Amino acid sequence: MAWVSSKYAFRSVGRNLRRTALSVLGIGIGCTLALVTESINRGRDELFARMGAYSGAGHLRVVPGGWRLRRDPRLRLADGKRDLEAARSLPGVAAVTVRARAQVLLAMGTHVVPLEMVGVDPENEPRTYRFVQNLEEGRYLAPGESGAAVVGRAVAERLRAELDDDILATAVGKDGDIEAALFRIVGIVATGSEDLDASICQVTLDDLEALTGLPSVAEVAVILEDWQASESTRALLAPRVAPGDEVLTWGEIAPEFQGHMEQDKAASRFIGFLIIVIVLLGVASAQLAAVLERRREFAVLSALGMQAGHMVRLVLQEGLTLGFFGGALGFALGAPLVWHLASAGLDFREYMGSSYSFQGVVLEPILYGDFGIWMIPYVLLIAVGATLAASLYPAWFAARTDPAVALRVAQ
Amino acid sequence: MNENAEKIVVARGLTKTFRIGKLEVPALRGVDLVIHQGEFMALVGPSGSGKTTFLNLVGALDKPTEGELTVLGRRVAELSKRERAELRLRSLGFVFQAYNLVPVLTALENVEFVLELRGMGSERRARALEVLDELGLEDIAHRKPAELSGGQQQRVAVARAVAARPKLVLADEPTANLDGENAEILMHMMRDLGEQHGMTFIFSTHDPRVVAHAVRVVTLVDGRVARDEAKPGEAPHEVVPGIGKAPAPPEA
Repeated sequence: MAWVSSKYAFRSVGRNLRRTALSVLGIGIGCTLALVTESINRGRDELFARMGAYSGAGHLRVVPGGWRLRRDPRLRLADGKRDLEAARSLPGVAAVTVRARAQVLLAMGTHVVPLEMVGVDPENEPRTYRFVQNLEEGRYLAPGESGAAVVGRAVAERLRAELDDDILATAVGKDGDIEAALFRIVGIVATGSEDLDASICQVTLDDLEALTGLPSVAEVAVILEDWQASESTRALLAPRVAPGDEVLTWGEIAPEFQGHMEQDKAASRFIGFLIIVIVLLGVASAQLAAVLERRREFAVLSALGMQAGHMVRLVLQEGLTLGFFGGALGFALGAPLVWHLASAGLDFREYMGSSYSFQGVVLEPILYGDFGIWMIPYVLLIAVGATLAASLYPAWFAARTDPAVALRVAQ
Repeated sequence: MNENAEKIVVARGLTKTFRIGKLEVPALRGVDLVIHQGEFMALVGPSGSGKTTFLNLVGALDKPTEGELTVLGRRVAELSKRERAELRLRSLGFVFQAYNLVPVLTALENVEFVLELRGMGSERRARALEVLDELGLEDIAHRKPAELSGGQQQRVAVARAVAARPKLVLADEPTANLDGENAEILMHMMRDLGEQHGMTFIFSTHDPRVVAHAVRVVTLVDGRVARDEAKPGEAPHEVVPGIGKAPAPPEA
C-alpha cells in the first residue's frame, strides 16, 4: 500500500489553503446545484407520472390490440373480466377500474357540445381519476344507477345546463345508426382547468354500453403504489391478460405528455451538465496552477526514479481528495435545500393559478423535490468524477516534466 | 583509484549540446572518463564548465548528443524514458544543492518515500529509521523540512539518496548552501558512507575545503576534462561511530 504517496497527495492539498478552499467551494456549489437540479428532475418525474396516471391514463392500461395505433374508442378488450382479474391479482397495485369511451354530441335546447363520454365503474373510478372528486355541485355516480351523468363545469356552462337538468347524448351506434339517450346531470366537476372541465362527461359503464350498443369494456386502468414499478409490473401483467389485449404504460398512452416531460428533463440536465463543466474548468485551472508551482518538485521526484504513471496517480489522488471534500460540502449545502424542496416544494401558483393542464393532464402547481439515499452516491459520483476529469490534464502535464530541464531552469 | 574495481561510469567522447532557439550551445565537448566503484570524486571547474550537465547525463536525467556513456553497464543513450527512471530508482542516488526534500513529508517520510517507490513493503519504515539513525538524524525524524536547518535538510537528503543503498550517488554542489561546519559534517558523512558501503560518490563543487575531501578531482573547463588528479584526500578523515556526526579533530 502506497501510504507515503497517499499522505503526500493528501497533505499537498493543504499547501495553498486559499486555493484549496476556493476549489472545494467551487466543487461544493457545483454539487449543490447538480443535487438540486436532479432532485427537481426526480420530483418532476414523479409528479408527471402521478398526474399522468391520475388524469385517467393509469400507470398501466390494458387496451385492445390495435388501439395504440388507431385510438378508436369503439375497440373493445378481448376479455375485460380476465384482464381486470389479472390486474387485481398483481402485487403493488393500488387501484383498478374499467372504462369504455364514445364520441358523443351533448345537447340541451339549442346548445351542443361534442366530447368523449366515458362509461365508468362508479365504485372504483374516483380512486383512479382524481378529478371527479372535485365536485362543485351535486354528487358522483352511484353503482348500478341509470341515466345519470357527471359533467365538467365548462360543459355545463356551454350547454347552459345546471344540476338536475336533462341533457341529450347522441352517438354513432354499433351498426352505424345514430343512437340517443337522456341523462340527468347529478354532479358538476370543477378541476380548475378550463380545458379539462370542457372534456369531462362520465356515465355508468352500463349506460354507455346501452347508448353505443357495444358490449364489454374498452380499457382496464391500473394505479400502482410505486410509479417506478410501471415497467416491472407491465412485464408481470402482459402475459396474464387475454390474448390480443395489450398493456401500455402511461407514457405510451400520453406520448406527447411524456415527450414534454423528457424535453424538460433533458434541458435541466443539460444546464446541470454545463454547471459541472464550468466547475470542472475552474478546478482544472487550479490544479494546473498547483502542478506548475511544483514543477521543480516533480522534477526531483522524477530524478528519484518516480515513473510517469505514479506521478499521474499522485495528481489524480490530489484531485480525488479535493473532490471528496467538495462533494461533502456540496452535500452539506445541498441536503437542506433539497429537504426544503421535498417538504415545502416549489410553488408556481402565482404564475399558473391553482392548476395547469397539458395534453389533457392537469399538473399540480407545486413541484416537490425528491429527497433520498440516492443523493449520497450521486453527489460523490459528480464530485469525484468531475475532479478526476479536471485533474487529468494537470496530471499529464506533471508526468511530462523533464527533470533535467526543470532542475536546470530552477537553478 | 583501484583500476581493478568495477567500472561504474564509462564516458567516451561524451558530448552534450543544448539548442536555445537557433543557437547551439555546447556544454560538454568530448569528455573521456572512467569512474570505478568506491571512488569519492569531486568534479570542479568554473560556472558553465559542464559539471551539472555531466552529472545529469550520468544520472540518466538526460541523453548525450554524441559519444558513449555507460552507467552501471547500461548505455544511457539507448534507454527509454521509463528505463532511465528505473535505473535512477534502482541504482542511483541524488543529492541536490537546494536539498529538495518534499516539504509536506517529515524527514522519515522523505526517506521512506524513496523506498516505497522501489516497491519495498512494510519493512520500509524500519529501514528508513535505521538509515536516519545511522546518520545521527533520529532526533529529527518526525520533523518537516521547514522545521530543519539547511545542514539538517541536506543530511536528510543524503539519507534519502543512500537509503536504498545505490551503487552510485550524484551530488550537485551539495554544500553550496551550507556553512563551513555543516559542509564538513556532510562531507564526512558522504565519505563514511562511501567507505562503509562501497558506494561511489561523484559531487560537483566550487568549495576548496570540500575538494580537500575528494580522493579524485576532475576539473572541467569549457566542457572538457582539463585535469584528472588522484589524491589520498587531504582533509583529515577517520570513520567514527555514527556516520558524519562529528569530524575527526585535526592532529597536532
